Amino acid sequence: MKYKRNQPTTARRPQTFSTCARLCSGGLAALAWLGVASPSFASLGGVASSIEVDRAHLAARSSTVVNAAYTVHIMTLPNGGTVKEFERSDGVVFGIAWRGPSRPDLRQLLGSRFAVMQADVVVHSGRRLRAPLIDERADFVLHSAGHSGAFVGSAYLPQMAPASFSVSDLQ
Amino acid sequence: MIKRSLGIKRLGAIGAMGLALVLTACGGGGGGSSNGGSTASTASTGSTTSTTPALTNFTTLTIDGGPTALTTNPNGYIDDNVAFVSVTICAPGSTTNCQTIDHVQVDTGSTGLRILASVITPSLLSALPTETDASSNPVGECFGYVDGYTFGSVRQADFQVGGESVANLPFQAIGDTGVFSTVPSTCSSGGGTNESTVLGLGANGIIGLGVMATDCDSLCTVAGGYGAAIYYDCPSTGCASIITRAASTTAPFQQLPNPVAAMAVDNNGTIISLPASPTAGEATMTGTIYFGIGTQTNNGLGSATVLTTTTSASPNGAGLITVDFNNAVLNESFLDSGSNLYVFADSSIPQCTQTNYTAYYCPTSPVTLSTTLVGANGTSVAASIVINNAYNFFDNNNTVVPGIGGPPTTFPSSNVYPQSFDLGLPFFYGRNVYTAIENKTAGSATGPYFAY
Repeated sequence: MKYKRNQPTTARRPQTFSTCARLCSGGLAALAWLGVASPSFASLGGVASSIEVDRAHLAARSSTVVNAAYTVHIMTLPNGGTVKEFERSDGVVFGIAWRGPSRPDLRQLLGSRFAVMQADVVVHSGRRLRAPLIDERADFVLHSAGHSGAFVGSAYLPQMAPASFSVSDLQ
Repeated sequence: MIKRSLGIKRLGAIGAMGLALVLTACGGGGGGSSNGGSTASTASTGSTTSTTPALTNFTTLTIDGGPTALTTNPNGYIDDNVAFVSVTICAPGSTTNCQTIDHVQVDTGSTGLRILASVITPSLLSALPTETDASSNPVGECFGYVDGYTFGSVRQADFQVGGESVANLPFQAIGDTGVFSTVPSTCSSGGGTNESTVLGLGANGIIGLGVMATDCDSLCTVAGGYGAAIYYDCPSTGCASIITRAASTTAPFQQLPNPVAAMAVDNNGTIISLPASPTAGEATMTGTIYFGIGTQTNNGLGSATVLTTTTSASPNGAGLITVDFNNAVLNESFLDSGSNLYVFADSSIPQCTQTNYTAYYCPTSPVTLSTTLVGANGTSVAASIVINNAYNFFDNNNTVVPGIGGPPTTFPSSNVYPQSFDLGLPFFYGRNVYTAIENKTAGSATGPYFAY
């Protein structure tokens, strides 16, 4: 077993995992979006403590699933969406996945890779592909798919993932 | 206002059934089992002895290269597989301060009308009031698409499409100026392109006619809440605070409604009716979009198979169905006229290797896929889908390009999104695709559903 930092430290959090799926915690979400706007500790590629920073930023509730080589932190957002962060046993966050009615704050979750993604996917010449965003580098892979109101995506650092990790786990 | 008889011809058989539905099935009765065998007249004018007013619940769909400002721009491009309508907006209460906006993309994958502020004449734009919030400040909106986002003011206009109209319809004036000229970081943080120009949007506007009745539903009615849409308080210092907006499809509006849901009649959904594409594609195509399902003699549900979708209460979002494909159950699939290709994973189909084409599939010869579409109601229908070589098919001036597909990833060993099959506009060719709005009775079924 590994770290467990699965509950937020803020006072107004919901106390159970299964309730309050969509409509509550809105005020908390606003607070997080607007007040905690300094993503200096981005998770992807960051250290374990960044996960709690992300969770607070997203006003999410969190639980963990521990596998042999890594831990998955599952965050449930106020709007019902989920964000998963994949943490190596030594604390390095090597992957992120999301699903829900909106895209999460990728500037926060991707940190320095957000600019990498933007530079790679924002294209204005040639035929426009109205399709998922794909960024595939040796050290950074991102997919952002779905459609308005039903988004899904993931990003990970291939060179930092545990050997036993499969990208099909990034869901 | 565009009124063509073309559409009546395309849906002739259904039109005959539609008449039966109007007469017998207003309560949501038996639907498509009535005899549709008669080949309805394709006479283009109903000028005989009928006193019935001519139907106006439709308008023409055009697939072409896109707005002139796009195709003639040195940095521009040609749209492919994008269906456009023209809409007319007027200053509220005016019949003269109006403008018809061409090349508005029809999108069953989103909800709400969005028009580039830059294509609206200044004299009209200045006459379109901006919604205000509880602080009496202007309201701004961010809206997320798969490849980016739009941001702008929420203004109101008298709206017409075909013979349908909505007074004071809220729409997003994308890329509006003044306090809206700075995109909030909470809007751009989802990533992708800021689609604030004709080049960025590939259109003059986009009309979201998906299954949702408003663009954020209950998610934006709680403090700080957001979905694909985020609403902002926009004082003179700029847009920053997220605000709540009510989900109403009648005046007084707050959120952007589905423009069809806001219509006085024919407000339960749409039918996108496009002819089949020639095998090799073609330069342009015209079809018809009908407003309403089972509300007139030309928009009956007929024998179409109804596939209900996830609702706005789904944590994964509204409008999803299941596609069974390659022994996988892809339960985050959807029909999306706003996607200009099929997006699905099949590692047996080679991807293109040519520069700028690697996001597409390039089978050496056309590949026929067997899929089964399954609704939340358990109803299923088989669909055969042909995937062509994108590099070869794009190598001409066609804007109707059938059978174009691409993987959700170009990472050859992965299958990152096994749950999704995006049935984009090529799926609509040769079909009448129904999109019914959430909680609306539409023919013999209740939305949200897709049917064809």
